[in-house]
Amino acid sequence: MEGLTRPRDDRGNERVIVLPVYNEEKNLRTTVEEIRGTGIPWDIVMVDDGSTDGSRDLLANLPVTVLSHPVNLGYGAAVQTGLRYAVLRGYGTVVLMDADGQHVASEIPALLAALDKGADIVIGSRLLGESAGYRIPLLRRTGIAFFSAVAKMLGGTRIHDVTSGFQAMRLEVARFLAEEYPVDFPDAEVIISLGLRKFRITEVPAHFRMRVHGSSMYSNPAKALYYPFKSLLASFIVLLRLIREKK
Amino acid sequence: MSLHAKLVITAFALFNVIFVVELLRKRKLSESYTLMWLFVIVAVIFFTWAERFLSSITSYFGAITPVSTLTLLSLLFILVMLIFFSMKIHKLERSIKEMAQRVALDNPKGNVG
Repeated sequence: MEGLTRPRDDRGNERVIVLPVYNEEKNLRTTVEEIRGTGIPWDIVMVDDGSTDGSRDLLANLPVTVLSHPVNLGYGAAVQTGLRYAVLRGYGTVVLMDADGQHVASEIPALLAALDKGADIVIGSRLLGESAGYRIPLLRRTGIAFFSAVAKMLGGTRIHDVTSGFQAMRLEVARFLAEEYPVDFPDAEVIISLGLRKFRITEVPAHFRMRVHGSSMYSNPAKALYYPFKSLLASFIVLLRLIREKK
Repeated sequence: MSLHAKLVITAFALFNVIFVVELLRKRKLSESYTLMWLFVIVAVIFFTWAERFLSSITSYFGAITPVSTLTLLSLLFILVMLIFFSMKIHKLERSIKEMAQRVALDNPKGNVG
């Protein structure tokens, strides 16, 4: 837990935890209390993506910094806002977590340890090691495996859990992603994009909990159907853009 | 095409001229879009009355009647317009995203730390 209690990283920069929020009223307090309960002294930034439940009012009473989108822009845009804030404030390390309580705050040191070993970005994976109690539906598991293979083929990096939102990254990666970030489903596309630009990506095992309240953004059947096609197209466009950049 | 059909199309086109100019006057349409639609209306009137030109295009396409050619050209035009407006919507979406993010970044609230 030693890494947790240090407010600054090995370069002397402050660290921040960014959590995108959309209609997570019932999960917010527990998530923040869990992070604070682990003794993490870092800044916590919650990006409210135009919530329509009581999330916005609740956030005002939590010990966090709140950035509020006036309208709902999508998960990716909320992450991007958080990353832009981190870059503007000069945070050296950014940890991304979901606000729905699925990610375990006490596992942040495992991500940081991998960063300290030289990675630029670390993905917390529910597909490595044990993932107690977390079940991924077969269809989604197949999709993740497929995009993992696509990411390996295009980006050269084998990441098993390409849809994980539990990540830790260095400022350089945050700066790159703050510029261009997909608005919806920023998964394989981001991994491929980082891999193609030779950022060092690693993956560490992480436990994910089942969401207690609310529903996932992937639970909408229309979005679930649209997702693989959009991600596949986006992945190849990332490759095309890079080829054009190199010319 | 019968004279009756030509007159109906022309009347409809002229009605549209009044309609788009009125939209511009009420500030519900910009000058650039009004101009674009006026060009479209002029093209419709031209194709309606320039029978020889339309017939030559019809034979070039291998279509049976000039009306088929007009339908084909209309479909192509609609397709181009849809792509154009998709690009416009995308641009507006990006602008809204940038604005909303700027609003959020300029107004951080709460306790830091």
